Amino acid sequence: MTIKTIEHLSMVFVALAIIIVIGVAIGIFLYNKKYLSNIVLNILNIIETIPELVLLVILMPFFGIGYKPTMIASILYSILPVARNTYVGLIQVDKQYLESARAMGLAEREILWKIRIPLALPMIAAGIRIAIVFVMGVITLGGLIAAGGLGGPIQTGIHLYDRDIILVTGLWIGILAVLLDSIGSFIEKVLNRKYGYD
Amino acid sequence: MINYDIILNAVVGHLFLAYSALLISIIIAIPLAVLSLFNRYLASVLLVFANLIQAIPSFAVVAIVVPLLGIGFKPAIFAIILRIILPLFKNTFTGLKDVDFVYIDSARGIGLSQLEIIRYIRFPHAFPAIFAGIKFSAIIANSVAILTSLIGAGGLGELIFEGLTNFNIPKVLTGAIPAVIIAVLLDVSFSLIEKRISLKY
Repeated sequence: MTIKTIEHLSMVFVALAIIIVIGVAIGIFLYNKKYLSNIVLNILNIIETIPELVLLVILMPFFGIGYKPTMIASILYSILPVARNTYVGLIQVDKQYLESARAMGLAEREILWKIRIPLALPMIAAGIRIAIVFVMGVITLGGLIAAGGLGGPIQTGIHLYDRDIILVTGLWIGILAVLLDSIGSFIEKVLNRKYGYD
Repeated sequence: MINYDIILNAVVGHLFLAYSALLISIIIAIPLAVLSLFNRYLASVLLVFANLIQAIPSFAVVAIVVPLLGIGFKPAIFAIILRIILPLFKNTFTGLKDVDFVYIDSARGIGLSQLEIIRYIRFPHAFPAIFAGIKFSAIIANSVAILTSLIGAGGLGELIFEGLTNFNIPKVLTGAIPAVIIAVLLDVSFSLIEKRISLKY
Protein backbone atom coordinates (compact mmCIF):
# COMPACT_ATOMS: atom_id res chain seq x y z
CA MET A 1 0.00 0.00 0.00
CA THR A 2 2.78 2.42 0.89
CA ILE A 3 4.60 1.63 -2.34
CA LYS A 4 1.40 2.06 -4.34
CA THR A 5 0.72 5.39 -2.62
CA ILE A 6 4.22 6.67 -3.34
CA GLU A 7 3.90 5.51 -6.94
CA HIS A 8 0.54 7.22 -7.21
CA LEU A 9 1.66 10.51 -5.71
CA SER A 10 4.85 10.64 -7.73
CA MET A 11 2.79 10.22 -10.89
CA VAL A 12 0.47 12.98 -9.75
CA PHE A 13 3.33 15.37 -9.05
CA VAL A 14 5.20 14.67 -12.28
CA ALA A 15 2.00 15.19 -14.26
CA LEU A 16 1.22 18.38 -12.35
CA ALA A 17 4.68 19.82 -12.95
CA ILE A 18 4.34 19.21 -16.69
CA ILE A 19 0.81 20.63 -16.71
CA ILE A 20 1.83 23.80 -14.90
CA VAL A 21 4.72 24.43 -17.30
CA ILE A 22 2.68 23.74 -20.45
CA GLY A 23 -0.51 25.37 -19.16
CA VAL A 24 1.13 28.61 -18.10
CA ALA A 25 3.14 28.69 -21.32
CA ILE A 26 -0.05 28.28 -23.38
CA GLY A 27 -1.73 30.99 -21.31
CA ILE A 28 1.09 33.47 -21.94
CA PHE A 29 1.26 32.48 -25.60
CA LEU A 30 -2.47 33.11 -26.00
CA TYR A 31 -2.07 36.43 -24.27
CA ASN A 32 0.47 37.41 -26.93
CA LYS A 33 -1.66 36.05 -29.78
CA LYS A 34 -5.17 36.87 -28.67
CA TYR A 35 -6.82 35.98 -31.96
CA LEU A 36 -5.82 32.34 -31.38
CA SER A 37 -7.30 32.18 -27.91
CA ASN A 38 -10.82 31.27 -28.97
CA ILE A 39 -9.75 28.35 -31.14
CA VAL A 40 -7.22 26.91 -28.71
CA LEU A 41 -9.45 27.20 -25.67
CA ASN A 42 -12.34 25.62 -27.57
CA ILE A 43 -10.22 22.66 -28.63
CA LEU A 44 -9.06 22.15 -25.05
CA ASN A 45 -12.66 22.48 -23.92
CA ILE A 46 -13.77 19.69 -26.24
CA ILE A 47 -11.01 17.43 -24.93
CA GLU A 48 -12.27 18.09 -21.46
CA THR A 49 -15.84 17.01 -22.19
CA ILE A 50 -14.62 13.58 -23.29
CA PRO A 51 -15.06 11.05 -20.48
CA GLU A 52 -11.75 10.39 -18.73
CA LEU A 53 -11.82 6.67 -19.36
CA VAL A 54 -12.60 7.13 -23.04
CA LEU A 55 -9.68 9.50 -23.44
CA LEU A 56 -7.45 6.87 -21.85
CA VAL A 57 -8.55 4.09 -24.15
CA ILE A 58 -8.38 6.27 -27.25
CA LEU A 59 -4.72 6.93 -26.49
CA MET A 60 -4.04 3.20 -26.12
CA PRO A 61 -3.64 2.40 -29.84
CA PHE A 62 -0.99 5.10 -30.07
CA PHE A 63 0.88 4.72 -26.81
CA GLY A 64 0.15 1.17 -25.65
CA ILE A 65 -0.89 0.55 -22.07
CA GLY A 66 0.47 1.59 -18.72
CA TYR A 67 2.34 4.65 -17.59
CA LYS A 68 2.64 6.61 -20.83
CA PRO A 69 -1.02 6.90 -21.95
CA THR A 70 -2.09 7.63 -18.39
CA MET A 71 0.31 10.52 -18.07
CA ILE A 72 -0.58 11.89 -21.49
CA ALA A 73 -4.31 11.62 -20.77
CA SER A 74 -3.98 13.36 -17.42
CA ILE A 75 -1.94 16.15 -18.99
CA LEU A 76 -4.32 16.65 -21.93
CA TYR A 77 -7.25 16.62 -19.58
CA SER A 78 -5.94 19.19 -17.13
CA ILE A 79 -4.20 21.73 -19.33
CA LEU A 80 -7.43 23.61 -19.99
CA PRO A 81 -8.07 24.95 -16.47
CA VAL A 82 -4.46 26.12 -16.09
CA ALA A 83 -4.22 27.65 -19.57
CA ARG A 84 -7.63 29.32 -19.39
CA ASN A 85 -7.07 30.72 -15.93
CA THR A 86 -3.62 32.03 -16.85
CA TYR A 87 -5.04 33.72 -19.93
CA VAL A 88 -8.02 35.22 -18.11
CA GLY A 89 -5.82 36.26 -15.19
CA LEU A 90 -3.41 38.08 -17.49
CA ILE A 91 -6.21 39.82 -19.39
CA GLN A 92 -8.23 40.83 -16.37
CA VAL A 93 -5.55 42.91 -14.64
CA ASP A 94 -7.03 46.15 -13.39
CA LYS A 95 -6.45 49.13 -15.70
CA GLN A 96 -5.17 51.41 -12.95
CA TYR A 97 -2.10 49.19 -12.41
CA LEU A 98 -1.35 49.08 -16.09
CA GLU A 99 -1.70 52.81 -16.49
CA SER A 100 0.57 53.63 -13.58
CA ALA A 101 3.10 51.10 -14.88
CA ARG A 102 3.00 52.73 -18.30
CA ALA A 103 3.31 56.15 -16.72
CA MET A 104 6.46 54.95 -14.96
CA GLY A 105 7.83 54.03 -18.38
CA LEU A 106 7.79 50.22 -18.18
CA ALA A 107 7.93 48.42 -21.50
CA GLU A 108 5.09 46.04 -22.43
CA ARG A 109 7.37 43.08 -21.73
CA GLU A 110 8.21 44.40 -18.27
CA ILE A 111 4.53 45.02 -17.61
CA LEU A 112 3.81 41.39 -18.46
CA TRP A 113 6.45 39.99 -16.11
CA LYS A 114 6.32 42.52 -13.29
CA ILE A 115 2.66 43.51 -13.20
CA ARG A 116 0.42 41.10 -15.05
CA ILE A 117 1.91 37.76 -14.00
CA PRO A 118 2.12 38.50 -10.25
CA LEU A 119 -1.44 39.82 -10.28
CA ALA A 120 -2.60 36.76 -12.21
CA LEU A 121 -1.06 34.34 -9.70
CA PRO A 122 -4.23 33.81 -7.65
CA MET A 123 -6.16 32.91 -10.82
CA ILE A 124 -3.37 30.60 -11.96
CA ALA A 125 -3.37 28.91 -8.55
CA ALA A 126 -7.13 28.38 -8.80
CA GLY A 127 -6.58 26.72 -12.18
CA ILE A 128 -3.85 24.50 -10.78
CA ARG A 129 -6.15 23.47 -7.96
CA ILE A 130 -8.75 22.28 -10.46
CA ALA A 131 -5.98 20.51 -12.34
CA ILE A 132 -4.96 18.66 -9.15
CA VAL A 133 -8.46 17.21 -8.87
CA PHE A 134 -8.50 16.14 -12.54
CA VAL A 135 -5.02 14.61 -12.43
CA MET A 136 -5.91 12.65 -9.32
CA GLY A 137 -9.00 11.27 -11.08
CA VAL A 138 -7.27 10.29 -14.31
CA ILE A 139 -4.30 8.69 -12.59
CA THR A 140 -6.59 6.64 -10.37
CA LEU A 141 -8.29 5.42 -13.53
CA GLY A 142 -4.90 4.56 -14.98
CA GLY A 143 -4.97 1.53 -12.70
CA LEU A 144 -7.40 0.00 -15.20
CA ILE A 145 -4.79 0.01 -17.95
CA ALA A 146 -1.97 -1.16 -15.71
CA ALA A 147 -0.34 2.17 -14.97
CA GLY A 148 0.41 1.35 -11.34
CA GLY A 149 -0.73 3.51 -8.47
CA LEU A 150 -3.81 3.09 -6.34
CA GLY A 151 -6.26 2.36 -9.16
CA GLY A 152 -4.87 -1.17 -9.50
CA PRO A 153 -5.95 -2.41 -6.05
CA ILE A 154 -9.47 -1.04 -6.64
CA GLN A 155 -9.77 -2.96 -9.87
CA THR A 156 -8.52 -6.13 -8.18
CA GLY A 157 -11.01 -5.57 -5.39
CA ILE A 158 -13.95 -5.17 -7.78
CA HIS A 159 -12.97 -8.25 -9.78
CA LEU A 160 -12.56 -10.44 -6.70
CA TYR A 161 -15.54 -8.75 -5.02
CA ASP A 162 -13.35 -8.18 -1.97
CA ARG A 163 -15.05 -5.57 0.19
CA ASP A 164 -12.04 -4.82 2.37
CA ILE A 165 -9.69 -3.98 -0.48
CA ILE A 166 -12.29 -1.75 -2.15
CA LEU A 167 -13.25 0.10 1.00
CA VAL A 168 -9.71 0.67 2.24
CA THR A 169 -8.31 1.77 -1.11
CA GLY A 170 -11.37 3.80 -2.05
CA LEU A 171 -11.42 5.70 1.22
CA TRP A 172 -7.66 6.17 1.13
CA ILE A 173 -7.84 7.69 -2.35
CA GLY A 174 -10.67 9.91 -1.16
CA ILE A 175 -8.62 11.11 1.80
CA LEU A 176 -5.55 11.75 -0.38
CA ALA A 177 -7.64 13.69 -2.88
CA VAL A 178 -9.20 15.86 -0.20
CA LEU A 179 -5.78 16.47 1.37
CA LEU A 180 -4.20 17.52 -1.93
CA ASP A 181 -7.18 19.75 -2.65
CA SER A 182 -6.92 21.47 0.71
CA ILE A 183 -3.19 22.08 0.19
CA GLY A 184 -4.15 23.65 -3.14
CA SER A 185 -6.80 25.82 -1.55
CA PHE A 186 -4.34 26.91 1.15
CA ILE A 187 -1.80 28.04 -1.47
CA GLU A 188 -4.58 29.80 -3.35
CA LYS A 189 -5.59 31.66 -0.21
CA VAL A 190 -2.02 32.75 0.57
CA LEU A 191 -1.54 34.05 -2.97
CA ASN A 192 -4.89 35.78 -2.82
CA ARG A 193 -3.90 37.58 0.34
CA LYS A 194 -0.63 38.67 -1.21
CA TYR A 195 -1.71 39.61 -4.73
CA GLY A 196 -5.53 39.60 -4.64
CA TYR A 197 -7.59 42.68 -5.31
CA ASP A 198 -9.67 42.75 -2.18
CA MET B 1 -17.25 -6.72 -38.29
CA ILE B 2 -19.14 -3.98 -36.55
CA ASN B 3 -22.49 -4.92 -35.14
CA TYR B 4 -24.63 -1.79 -35.19
CA ASP B 5 -27.37 -3.31 -33.06
CA ILE B 6 -24.99 -3.89 -30.19
CA ILE B 7 -23.65 -0.35 -30.42
CA LEU B 8 -27.12 1.13 -30.62
CA ASN B 9 -28.26 -0.87 -27.60
CA ALA B 10 -25.20 0.22 -25.68
CA VAL B 11 -25.79 3.86 -26.56
CA VAL B 12 -29.41 3.66 -25.42
CA GLY B 13 -28.40 1.93 -22.19
CA HIS B 14 -25.71 4.50 -21.59
CA LEU B 15 -28.01 7.47 -22.17
CA PHE B 16 -30.73 5.94 -20.01
CA LEU B 17 -28.29 5.40 -17.16
CA ALA B 18 -26.74 8.86 -17.34
CA TYR B 19 -29.98 10.79 -17.76
CA SER B 20 -32.10 9.00 -15.20
CA ALA B 21 -29.34 9.75 -12.70
CA LEU B 22 -29.18 13.37 -13.85
CA LEU B 23 -32.95 13.75 -13.59
CA ILE B 24 -33.09 12.29 -10.08
CA SER B 25 -30.24 14.54 -8.99
CA ILE B 26 -31.96 17.64 -10.33
CA ILE B 27 -35.19 16.66 -8.59
CA ILE B 28 -33.34 16.28 -5.30
CA ALA B 29 -30.85 19.13 -5.60
CA ILE B 30 -33.15 22.03 -6.43
CA PRO B 31 -35.54 21.62 -3.47
CA LEU B 32 -32.50 21.09 -1.27
CA ALA B 33 -31.07 24.39 -2.47
CA VAL B 34 -34.36 26.17 -1.76
CA LEU B 35 -34.47 24.68 1.73
CA SER B 36 -30.91 25.83 2.34
CA LEU B 37 -32.00 29.38 1.63
CA PHE B 38 -34.03 29.24 4.83
CA ASN B 39 -31.54 27.35 6.94
CA ARG B 40 -28.03 28.71 7.06
CA TYR B 41 -26.72 25.73 9.02
CA LEU B 42 -27.90 23.20 6.45
CA ALA B 43 -26.43 25.36 3.71
CA SER B 44 -22.94 25.57 5.20
CA VAL B 45 -22.82 21.83 5.96
CA LEU B 46 -23.87 20.94 2.42
CA LEU B 47 -21.44 23.42 0.85
CA VAL B 48 -18.47 22.02 2.77
CA PHE B 49 -19.57 18.56 1.76
CA ALA B 50 -19.93 19.61 -1.86
CA ASN B 51 -16.39 20.96 -1.98
CA LEU B 52 -14.98 17.80 -0.44
CA ILE B 53 -16.82 15.42 -2.75
CA GLN B 54 -15.74 17.31 -5.83
CA ALA B 55 -12.13 16.48 -5.03
CA ILE B 56 -12.66 12.71 -4.90
CA PRO B 57 -11.92 10.79 -8.12
CA SER B 58 -14.99 9.27 -9.82
CA PHE B 59 -13.34 5.88 -9.85
CA ALA B 60 -13.05 5.91 -6.06
CA VAL B 61 -16.72 6.90 -5.71
CA VAL B 62 -17.80 4.09 -8.04
CA ALA B 63 -15.63 1.63 -6.11
CA ILE B 64 -16.89 2.63 -2.67
CA VAL B 65 -20.48 2.05 -3.78
CA VAL B 66 -19.79 -1.63 -4.45
CA PRO B 67 -19.27 -2.84 -0.86
CA LEU B 68 -22.27 -0.79 0.25
CA LEU B 69 -24.84 -1.62 -2.43
CA GLY B 70 -23.39 -4.44 -4.51
CA ILE B 71 -23.19 -4.32 -8.31
CA GLY B 72 -25.66 -3.70 -11.12
CA PHE B 73 -27.83 -0.91 -12.43
CA LYS B 74 -29.08 0.62 -9.18
CA PRO B 75 -25.68 1.01 -7.50
CA ALA B 76 -24.45 2.57 -10.73
CA ILE B 77 -27.23 5.16 -10.67
CA PHE B 78 -26.45 5.80 -7.03
CA ALA B 79 -22.76 6.35 -7.81
CA ILE B 80 -23.55 8.85 -10.56
CA ILE B 81 -25.98 10.71 -8.31
CA LEU B 82 -23.40 10.84 -5.56
CA ARG B 83 -20.92 12.35 -7.96
CA ILE B 84 -23.15 15.03 -9.50
CA ILE B 85 -25.71 16.02 -6.91
CA LEU B 86 -23.47 18.29 -4.89
CA PRO B 87 -22.11 20.38 -7.76
CA LEU B 88 -25.72 20.77 -8.89
CA PHE B 89 -26.75 21.85 -5.42
CA LYS B 90 -23.83 24.24 -5.15
CA ASN B 91 -24.63 26.01 -8.41
CA THR B 92 -28.35 26.26 -7.71
CA PHE B 93 -27.76 27.55 -4.20
CA THR B 94 -25.18 30.18 -5.13
CA GLY B 95 -27.37 31.23 -8.05
CA LEU B 96 -30.39 31.68 -5.81
CA LYS B 97 -28.40 33.37 -3.08
CA ASP B 98 -26.38 35.82 -5.15
CA VAL B 99 -29.37 37.71 -6.50
CA ASP B 100 -28.79 41.43 -6.22
CA PHE B 101 -30.29 42.73 -3.00
CA VAL B 102 -31.94 45.62 -4.82
CA TYR B 103 -34.39 43.26 -6.54
CA ILE B 104 -35.25 41.44 -3.34
CA ASP B 105 -35.79 44.70 -1.52
CA SER B 106 -38.09 46.13 -4.12
CA ALA B 107 -40.00 42.83 -4.31
CA ARG B 108 -40.53 43.06 -0.59
CA GLY B 109 -41.54 46.67 -1.01
CA ILE B 110 -44.39 45.74 -3.35
CA GLY B 111 -45.52 43.15 -0.83
CA LEU B 112 -44.42 39.79 -2.24
CA SER B 113 -44.19 36.94 0.25
CA GLN B 114 -41.00 34.88 0.81
CA LEU B 115 -42.21 32.11 -1.48
CA GLU B 116 -43.27 34.52 -4.18
CA ILE B 117 -39.85 36.16 -4.05
CA ILE B 118 -38.22 32.79 -4.57
CA ARG B 119 -40.58 31.88 -7.38
CA TYR B 120 -40.65 35.17 -9.29
CA ILE B 121 -37.38 36.90 -8.40
CA ARG B 122 -34.74 34.44 -7.30
CA PHE B 123 -35.42 31.62 -9.74
CA PRO B 124 -35.46 33.68 -12.94
CA HIS B 125 -32.22 35.36 -11.89
CA ALA B 126 -30.62 32.06 -10.97
CA PHE B 127 -31.46 30.33 -14.26
CA PRO B 128 -28.08 30.86 -15.93
CA ALA B 129 -26.24 29.53 -12.87
CA ILE B 130 -28.59 26.57 -12.48
CA PHE B 131 -28.22 25.77 -16.12
CA ALA B 132 -24.43 25.93 -15.97
CA GLY B 133 -24.63 23.44 -13.11
CA ILE B 134 -26.84 21.11 -15.16
CA LYS B 135 -24.44 21.27 -18.10
CA PHE B 136 -21.46 20.48 -15.89
CA SER B 137 -23.33 17.62 -14.24
CA ALA B 138 -24.47 16.19 -17.57
CA ILE B 139 -20.87 15.99 -18.71
CA ILE B 140 -19.74 14.33 -15.49
CA ALA B 141 -22.71 11.95 -15.59
CA ASN B 142 -21.71 10.98 -19.11
CA SER B 143 -18.19 10.18 -17.99
CA VAL B 144 -19.14 8.34 -14.79
CA ALA B 145 -21.74 6.30 -16.70
CA ILE B 146 -18.89 4.84 -18.77
CA LEU B 147 -17.04 3.88 -15.61
CA THR B 148 -20.00 2.25 -13.94
CA SER B 149 -19.97 -0.51 -16.55
CA LEU B 150 -17.14 -1.84 -14.43
CA ILE B 151 -19.72 -2.64 -11.76
CA GLY B 152 -22.12 -4.26 -14.21
CA ALA B 153 -24.35 -1.40 -15.32
CA GLY B 154 -24.02 -2.17 -19.05
CA GLY B 155 -23.90 0.54 -21.69
CA LEU B 156 -21.00 1.78 -23.77
CA GLY B 157 -18.45 1.16 -21.06
CA GLU B 158 -19.15 -2.56 -21.30
CA LEU B 159 -17.86 -2.62 -24.87
CA ILE B 160 -14.76 -0.74 -23.74
CA PHE B 161 -14.05 -3.09 -20.84
CA GLU B 162 -14.69 -6.23 -22.89
CA GLY B 163 -12.30 -4.90 -25.48
CA LEU B 164 -9.74 -4.04 -22.81
CA THR B 165 -9.68 -7.54 -21.31
CA ASN B 166 -9.08 -9.12 -24.74
CA PHE B 167 -6.88 -6.26 -25.87
CA ASN B 168 -9.28 -5.92 -28.78
CA ILE B 169 -8.69 -2.32 -29.84
CA PRO B 170 -11.46 -2.10 -32.50
CA LYS B 171 -13.97 -3.23 -29.92
CA VAL B 172 -12.68 -0.64 -27.46
CA LEU B 173 -13.12 2.01 -30.12
CA THR B 174 -16.72 0.96 -30.88
CA GLY B 175 -17.44 1.90 -27.28
CA ALA B 176 -15.17 4.93 -27.14
CA ILE B 177 -16.09 6.76 -30.33
CA PRO B 178 -19.86 6.98 -29.65
CA ALA B 179 -19.00 8.18 -26.15
CA VAL B 180 -16.88 10.99 -27.56
CA ILE B 181 -19.63 11.92 -30.01
CA ILE B 182 -22.20 12.00 -27.22
CA ALA B 183 -19.92 14.15 -25.07
CA VAL B 184 -19.23 16.69 -27.80
CA LEU B 185 -22.90 16.87 -28.86
CA LEU B 186 -23.86 17.37 -25.24
CA ASP B 187 -21.43 20.21 -24.83
CA VAL B 188 -22.43 21.94 -28.06
CA SER B 189 -26.19 21.66 -27.52
CA PHE B 190 -26.01 22.70 -23.89
CA SER B 191 -23.82 25.68 -24.79
CA LEU B 192 -26.40 26.80 -27.35
CA ILE B 193 -29.24 26.58 -24.84
CA GLU B 194 -27.06 28.32 -22.27
CA LYS B 195 -26.50 31.25 -24.62
CA ARG B 196 -30.25 31.58 -25.17
CA ILE B 197 -30.98 31.51 -21.48
CA SER B 198 -28.36 34.05 -20.52
CA LEU B 199 -29.61 36.33 -23.27
CA LYS B 200 -33.10 36.13 -21.90
CA TYR B 201 -32.26 36.70 -18.24
